Amino acid sequence: MSMVMSGGRRLSPASRAALGFFARYATIIGLLLMIAVFAFLSPRAFPTLSNFTNVLNQASLAMIIAGGLTLAVIVGELDLSIGFAASLHGVLVTGLIVANKLPIPLAIVIVIALGALIGLVNGVIVTKAKVNSVIATLGVGTILTGLAFAYSAGVPIVAGVPEAFLQLSLGRWLFGIPNNIVIMAVVLGGLWILVERTALGQEIQAVGGNPAAARLAGINVDRIKILGFVVSGMCAALTGILLASRLGSGTTSAADSYLLTAFAAVFLGSATMRDGEFHVLGSFVGVLIIAFGFNGLNIFGAPTFSQYIFQGAILIVAVGLASLGRMISES
Amino acid sequence: MLSSDTFVSATMKPFIVAENIAKAYGGVQALTGVSLSIAPGEVHGLVGANGAGKSTLIKVLAGLVQPDAGQIVVDGVPVSLPTPHHATDLGMSFIHQELAFIPGMNVLQNILLGVPKKTRFGMVDWRAAARDVAPIAQRVGIKAPLFASVKGLSTAENWLINICRALVRNARLIVMDEPTASLSAAEAEKLFAIVEDLSASGVAVLYVSHRLDEIMRLCSRVSIFRDGRSVGCLESTAITRPALIEAIVGGKVEPLAAAERRTVVRQEIALTVKALTRAPKVNGVSFELRRGEVLGIGGLVGAGRTELARLIYGADRADSGVVTLDGASFSPRNPTQAVKAGLGLVPEERRAEGLLITKSVAFNLQIANLANIVRSPAWPLIHRRKREALSLQIVRDLAVKTPSIDTPVGRLSGGNQQKVVIGRWLLRAPKVLILDEPTRGVDIGARGEIHRLVRELAARGMAVIVISSEPDELPDLCDRVLVMVEGRIVSTLEGDAITRNAIVEASYFVGGRPIQEITI
Repeated sequence: MSMVMSGGRRLSPASRAALGFFARYATIIGLLLMIAVFAFLSPRAFPTLSNFTNVLNQASLAMIIAGGLTLAVIVGELDLSIGFAASLHGVLVTGLIVANKLPIPLAIVIVIALGALIGLVNGVIVTKAKVNSVIATLGVGTILTGLAFAYSAGVPIVAGVPEAFLQLSLGRWLFGIPNNIVIMAVVLGGLWILVERTALGQEIQAVGGNPAAARLAGINVDRIKILGFVVSGMCAALTGILLASRLGSGTTSAADSYLLTAFAAVFLGSATMRDGEFHVLGSFVGVLIIAFGFNGLNIFGAPTFSQYIFQGAILIVAVGLASLGRMISES
Repeated sequence: MLSSDTFVSATMKPFIVAENIAKAYGGVQALTGVSLSIAPGEVHGLVGANGAGKSTLIKVLAGLVQPDAGQIVVDGVPVSLPTPHHATDLGMSFIHQELAFIPGMNVLQNILLGVPKKTRFGMVDWRAAARDVAPIAQRVGIKAPLFASVKGLSTAENWLINICRALVRNARLIVMDEPTASLSAAEAEKLFAIVEDLSASGVAVLYVSHRLDEIMRLCSRVSIFRDGRSVGCLESTAITRPALIEAIVGGKVEPLAAAERRTVVRQEIALTVKALTRAPKVNGVSFELRRGEVLGIGGLVGAGRTELARLIYGADRADSGVVTLDGASFSPRNPTQAVKAGLGLVPEERRAEGLLITKSVAFNLQIANLANIVRSPAWPLIHRRKREALSLQIVRDLAVKTPSIDTPVGRLSGGNQQKVVIGRWLLRAPKVLILDEPTRGVDIGARGEIHRLVRELAARGMAVIVISSEPDELPDLCDRVLVMVEGRIVSTLEGDAITRNAIVEASYFVGGRPIQEITI
């Protein structure tokens, strides 16, 4: 079988296979190469258990929000509200605990439920009012930013945050594993099982793969899409809560930048092991690449601006790799 | 009566000659070798059953598709048409059934799309452009002001704008694909006048239509395609309705035999459809379907058959009409409800609507059957061994040729892909199964297997509807055949009356009368 590239070039089976391998494993090879290079250049600071644990701990929040976003993109929609939503949730959870004196678990449950509600709103706007998801979620996200400012008057909620809430993110669990990593592992594990192993997961994949075919096969496409947004919203809430706990404050716009990280990770993930299909494990690897990249840049004292350049470039490379994989699998 | 296809008028050199054009898509031979020559100012008809290769030839001429063999000669010079731009430069213009306009632009801007325009001080001089276009617009009879928006214009006006667009580009050949498909009789009449005017001024028209009366009225020559080959070219007085149908079908047309009832099917009624309507495609369709019956729906592409299937299946909402399933009223709001009630659909567009092309065979088989492969309703994890066993069973029963059930379904041949879509429904055993063009793009072997499978399902008591545009397919397969024309059922054929000729004959009828008899 030969394939025709857009330019009309024909590829031999061997080069097609090589290109396919490259598209599938380039991200993992890139991650390993990056770790190897950093380890070679900085053998004392970089390749240590504590640094690796630290990187994973730092990355856990991004992994949770990216895991949620993965569900939204699998069903074929984009959720741009997650960063803004997480910021609002951080402000809200601190406010509920500090100002309203709610018990910490109750505050967390309320905020996660609110995250689900925001996802529901996104989903209904997209599926029932037929608003393009980019516009709908950008609009909702902007409204959420406004609400966060309204709630906090723009002033970070710092005073009176109880130690127990800080321990949520800073604490360690069995064998000294940071809580963040445990929570992330549970969330991503749950999402992975949902998508890959349950009947609902098959429907989720079908809706993303071909909504027209899924509909004619009897799947309620709208309901599945709404579910994708709800999961995305809940994960954004969890990330917002953990960030507030880590920072010890509820700060407006604190989590906004997770949006870009999550998108870069999700697209990197779609180019990982599968030909341009989004999947939970891929998104995990995607965040790992970004996290190790940042960590390396930090260790070598690269200026902050380089992180933006790194992240922007990686987003473009990721989308490029994903579409390369898709092109090869569809040829 | 049938002259050679390479006929060239003695008095006039042809504008364009296509010789022995061949084209295969994947393993399917769309064109085996067709030839066509069109003289300047000639109105040349092109007819043939669905899938005869008309659209493929048009795509070749338009530079949208590259032929595998054959050559195209324009003004005596062999040319190649690697892009649509080349075809335009040679003076060819194409007007398709679905007309494409840029809705935000006005009439003039749409007419001049892609045409270099005069500028004043670096800006487009629209007034000068309007002065140039106005006489042409008047000639084709565009009533709308040139600076009016194209939004809300009728299909007829859209056609006029497209013809104007072609003339502005100095087209020497305008290819019209089913031009009157959505025009009223009066509008069609206007179009005919324009076609005659074009012809008189030396512009050739390739007129592609199923409507034989239009072909007979307008065309000085008619090329007939069948199964990807040119089978003849009729001239002037030889262009008669029987001659055309005979050439399209490839055999003598027998008069309609009296319907003979088959008495095999006497089971209870599974589905009744009464006056089902969704304007403009489906107009008051009524029929009954019994358990164990294979009901065929024949007709031409665009007759409203797929739309009818989608109404029954809840994929679209009906304007009016009543459907009952097993005696109970049945009006699904979406396919999810239809599937739950016991319907299944094998859609026309296998890749676009039937399959998840990158997913595995097992995934595609089980996607409508998930409730049966989970460990329990309360613990809905997929039981992988159950999934594997059920998938393997279908693969074996239907003889799906695949390396494994984990192979992406896109790697399978068309016939095997179709078996996967059908196999999906076998797992659910629906009461009513609708198959829309089940053997399109399927090789002969798989086609026979699919037909056998359909008969077997009916024998087990399933009620089956088969929609097919191939007149050959339904006689083999069906107990009864309905023929649809323009959203209505014009003929019901039973038993021995179900012949390919009877189906073709009925497909060219309107309201039960031959199109010819209706004065426009």
